[in-house]
Amino acid sequence: MDNNATKPRFWKSLNLLANKPESIESTRHEFRKGVTDDFDLNALPDKSRRKFLAVLGASAAFAATACTDYPDKGEIISYNKKPSGVIYGHANYYASSLNSGLGILIKTREGRPIKVDGNPQHPINQGKVDAIAQAAMLDLYDPGRVRYPVKKSDSNLLLHKDDMPKTDWERIDKDITEKLKAASQSGKEIAIVAHSVKSPSQEKLFNEFVLKYPTAKFYTYEVFGNQNKLNAWEKCYGNKNLSVIAWDKADVIIALECDFLGTEGITVEQIKKYTSRRDFDNAKSFNKLYTVEANYSLTGANSDYRLKLSPEYQYDFIMALINEIAVKKAQSAVNLDDSAMTKIRQYNLSDFASKFGLHADKLATMVDDILHHPTKTLVVCGNSLPEECHIAVNLLNEVLGSVSNVYSDKYEVLHRPTNTMADFAQLSAKMKSGNVGVLIHFDSNPAYHLPHEIGYTDALKNVETIVSMIHIENESSEGSHFILPVNHEFESWGDFMLRNGVLSTQQPVIAPIFDSRQKEAVLLNWMSEDYTKYNHDIYHQFMKAHWQEKVFPAANTFSSFDEFWYSCLHDGIFTWDELSIPRAIINVASISLTQNTLSKSGFTVILTKPHYLGDGQYANNGWLQEVPHPITKVVWDNCAMMSPATAKKLDVAYGLDKLDKISDMIDLTVNGKTLRLPIMPQPGIVDDVIAVDLGYGRTRGGEVGTGVGFDAYTLMNKSGNKIYTGASVAKAGESYELISSQEHHSLDEEFVKDFHYKRHIIQEYTVPFYVEFENKLEEAKSRLKNEFGDDREAYEKALKTEKTHLLGHHEYQSHSVYPDKEYPGVKWAMAIDMNKCTACNACVTACNVENNIPIVGKEECGKGREMHWMRIDTYFSGTPEEPITSVQPMLCQHCDNAPCENVCPVVATTHSPEGLNQMTYNRCVGTRYCANNCPYKVRRYNFFDFRNDFKDGYYRMDTLELLNNPEVTVRSRGVMEKCTFCTQRIEEARSAANIKGKKIQGSDVVTACQEACPSDAIMFGDMNDPNSKVSKLRNHSLGYHVLETIMVKPNVTYISRLRNTNMEDTHSGH
Amino acid sequence: MKKTVLDYALKVKLPFTVFIILTSFAITYFVAKPERDGVGYAPEQPVKFSHRLHAGDMAIDCQYCHTSVEKSRHATIPSADVCMNCHAVAKTDSPEIVKLTQYYKEGKPIPWKRIHRVPEYAYFNHASHVVNGIDCANCHGDVREMDIISQVHSFTMGSCLDCHREPQKRMPQMTGKLNNGPENCNACHR
Repeated sequence: MDNNATKPRFWKSLNLLANKPESIESTRHEFRKGVTDDFDLNALPDKSRRKFLAVLGASAAFAATACTDYPDKGEIISYNKKPSGVIYGHANYYASSLNSGLGILIKTREGRPIKVDGNPQHPINQGKVDAIAQAAMLDLYDPGRVRYPVKKSDSNLLLHKDDMPKTDWERIDKDITEKLKAASQSGKEIAIVAHSVKSPSQEKLFNEFVLKYPTAKFYTYEVFGNQNKLNAWEKCYGNKNLSVIAWDKADVIIALECDFLGTEGITVEQIKKYTSRRDFDNAKSFNKLYTVEANYSLTGANSDYRLKLSPEYQYDFIMALINEIAVKKAQSAVNLDDSAMTKIRQYNLSDFASKFGLHADKLATMVDDILHHPTKTLVVCGNSLPEECHIAVNLLNEVLGSVSNVYSDKYEVLHRPTNTMADFAQLSAKMKSGNVGVLIHFDSNPAYHLPHEIGYTDALKNVETIVSMIHIENESSEGSHFILPVNHEFESWGDFMLRNGVLSTQQPVIAPIFDSRQKEAVLLNWMSEDYTKYNHDIYHQFMKAHWQEKVFPAANTFSSFDEFWYSCLHDGIFTWDELSIPRAIINVASISLTQNTLSKSGFTVILTKPHYLGDGQYANNGWLQEVPHPITKVVWDNCAMMSPATAKKLDVAYGLDKLDKISDMIDLTVNGKTLRLPIMPQPGIVDDVIAVDLGYGRTRGGEVGTGVGFDAYTLMNKSGNKIYTGASVAKAGESYELISSQEHHSLDEEFVKDFHYKRHIIQEYTVPFYVEFENKLEEAKSRLKNEFGDDREAYEKALKTEKTHLLGHHEYQSHSVYPDKEYPGVKWAMAIDMNKCTACNACVTACNVENNIPIVGKEECGKGREMHWMRIDTYFSGTPEEPITSVQPMLCQHCDNAPCENVCPVVATTHSPEGLNQMTYNRCVGTRYCANNCPYKVRRYNFFDFRNDFKDGYYRMDTLELLNNPEVTVRSRGVMEKCTFCTQRIEEARSAANIKGKKIQGSDVVTACQEACPSDAIMFGDMNDPNSKVSKLRNHSLGYHVLETIMVKPNVTYISRLRNTNMEDTHSGH
Repeated sequence: MKKTVLDYALKVKLPFTVFIILTSFAITYFVAKPERDGVGYAPEQPVKFSHRLHAGDMAIDCQYCHTSVEKSRHATIPSADVCMNCHAVAKTDSPEIVKLTQYYKEGKPIPWKRIHRVPEYAYFNHASHVVNGIDCANCHGDVREMDIISQVHSFTMGSCLDCHREPQKRMPQMTGKLNNGPENCNACHR
């Protein structure tokens, strides 16, 4: 039954698809080119610096050994007074919140935070946080944080931060309060630029500040806000209570240029709810995801059907869809009046589809699905699309009659509307004319974020006093008169209300590491009568008073306020039932369906939100810079993503066409501004569309973040929009080293091009196929039961054969040369459900934090030396024009017959009686034989002591020692390492069980990646326990092992992905 | 056959030299072993605390001070406030207690010298041993007899494994069947 021709072919990159010899050559080598080049001692001159240092170091070491008091073992420093509740060696957990308002649990050891995860009690993020929050730990200990307040005089305005004179807070408070008083007396504006307000207490503080200083004015902004959506909502429903979407309630989701699984909204919640409808045990209730987009987003990569459409035509598309459903099929839940009808009739779906080359079959399936589930269809529109698209989408959802199902009764609380770009233009004008007395950057960076057309940076020169409250020196603090360090979110008090009836609290878990203050407390101090009486508790007291006045009555409890307060702090969350405001009825008559405001001309540029850098504020976080972009796999850079056809048209290329990892640069001109940046041909992007991530190219972003990538904010015009048409592109004739890890650690070899498919690395089926399979299997079961009767063994064997046939696989017989080993106790195993994995990379980052994984930097990444123990492999199938993406988290498989173990000459890697493939660092001599012999390419070698090597030891500085997980060895140069299945957590659980006099259970251990996974795709436990989830999944029809046929017997089971497509649309495994 | 200088060198001088080198190495190796392992290490402590007095004569339970030995990986050295539970009133005029009180009042931790140490890459767990009935003295010696605490046994991987492999032989005083300790790498190294 060999019908290979119908099976999907997988490919990892365009170059491999095209059989580029260089590309194939490079995948042949375990360690990339250049790995040993810089170690050639003979190539060095006789009197090299290196040799001199080596000799010097060796002699110093001998001398030191001879002279030291070597038996000295140091000291043990205990507490003077031990805080109650601290047990040395045990972690304490505190509930708090991120500044984004999501609930977290912070793990602290001996008073220092070392790991963060979601607060399981929090109703929004439900125990999960994204990669950015996982890596926030590094921001807390970032040695580049401003360490003390500084007042700059005119002569040292542009000094580097190391040269800045230290000033004490009291003097600064005195100076600034004087300036504030002077400004408000002279009627000059006090402008405070902040990010959007999510906290009720902060909102109260802002209002009170204005009462104290009447000329004060707050300006808030959010680069990736939902202003268009909100305005559209107000126009449709007459209020600003944007309904929260119930992602788990929709049967059909149509995402229009909306990356809800990647970058838009509260992604962890969205991923969790979306994937809750991707349960393979309940295949019939799978939801169906359609994306219509130009950029190849993570949502597009995860969708069942993806239609390619340039963003200018989105409005026409939505209107045509309304026409198709409301007019042609006469299915509408609302009455459309004549004027609306007339407008809608102008758009025709089939004409539209043929005009813009939409895939006719896919479109027909989509319309068909909508008509079958109109009240369970959710249409969502990306934040970057203009307002009229959002209005049309609101209307479409009303026409379908799905709003009561797919919107929850919660709404997003808007504490303070963000200011428009026009407001900021006005502010700039005021600053320029000298009407702004004091300008305060309230933990914001407008000079970098605001469109340059607004002229904010120039206007700064005309402001008398600029105060920047910041973590790390940024573009806006350059030229500031006062630089005030602010507390990290883990050092702060706060409260957040994202939705009605949900209030989360934030409490400090560590005293400020540096001489910083909480930003709210600083304002509060300037408002007080006597600024010398400052203490760190003032904002806490302010917040508490607010809660006592406003929140406590709503709690309606018999306990005292203090009890209530402490229980809220303990839980990190307070929820109450509020009489829900009924959602306003849409007023169709009042909706003005306007014309499309975008029109196609030249190239279209989409400025996208970076996956891991926020709006650029996390640029100094090396962990986040090193997480590969989930689609292009580019690290430490952004680039112009375009379709391969567009790249060809522009005569530009990436990678092995030329030299390894070299990309051509283009000059991208939009709105009269030109940016030179490298390109990346990305399959799936609409032709003539160029997508560029914002948030890169910081000019003052800290030691790590400065100069990484290219600043696409410079392309924005004063509207602040993210989509521009009429761009022009010219080949720059320059090239640039752009690192993409897509071809690193490849499992393919040159002579088996269809390796992925032949070796079953990716196995996928469609939902209809699987439903049919289940029915057939039931039939087979009853048939075989009759046939074999009580002969259980024969029955099982026959059933297995039957299953293999039904799934369309070949049966193979292979025998291991090793005898089977007995695992009498617990045996650890993992299962990864590919139906749920969206490639969000939360697991990768959580693993980095848990296991003290170093940051290696761009150059080392280019040599394939990234240290991540876990990676997300991406495989494409289909054509470069219409690719289908398959993702696969890859980590050490802890094989029973581990090939790495028998090649280690020093027995540094061995097998534990519980089935773990153990790595003993202190034994490793660094032969790298194991990595060479690993079929999964998951072993990582410390070519350097990367903490020393990266940026002259930036991550070796004082504060970083506090970051390390004390339960995991910090590896040094010359040592191999890899995923341990979080053996430290296993040992901790074992010790805990031991103390209770019990044996360890599989359910006692949760690995770091499992804990972080927003969709619970990763499961871990004891496969010898027949009731555990992993053992059930191991024997599930959909469960398979990667490279099963080489008999290494891996302990990670992958669950085949089911695509909710029609059976004939390929991707069935038969 | 004439004896040459070379013959003499090969037959007499070389074996003699090799013998001398080997013997001196062997003697040095074995004589210096306890010192290399830290056996007998007894540095002067910042406060002259006597285990003989407290644990021996007064028979205070080990866990009165080493509180988390049954709960955690670490046995822990007590914080100064534990000492002050008694010494706020007991023997307040003794010079060592004056020193202690001074540390306590200044809020400074006492810099106790570390005696027993396993390397950073080995994760010894006190609780797992103690809850299974293994007496402190098995590793730490009889501290009830020590005025100045010193290391009695070596803390090398070999010593750990000796006991893990043959617990009954190493701890004859233990009654009942003793399970062998784990020998896999991850039990201690991670």
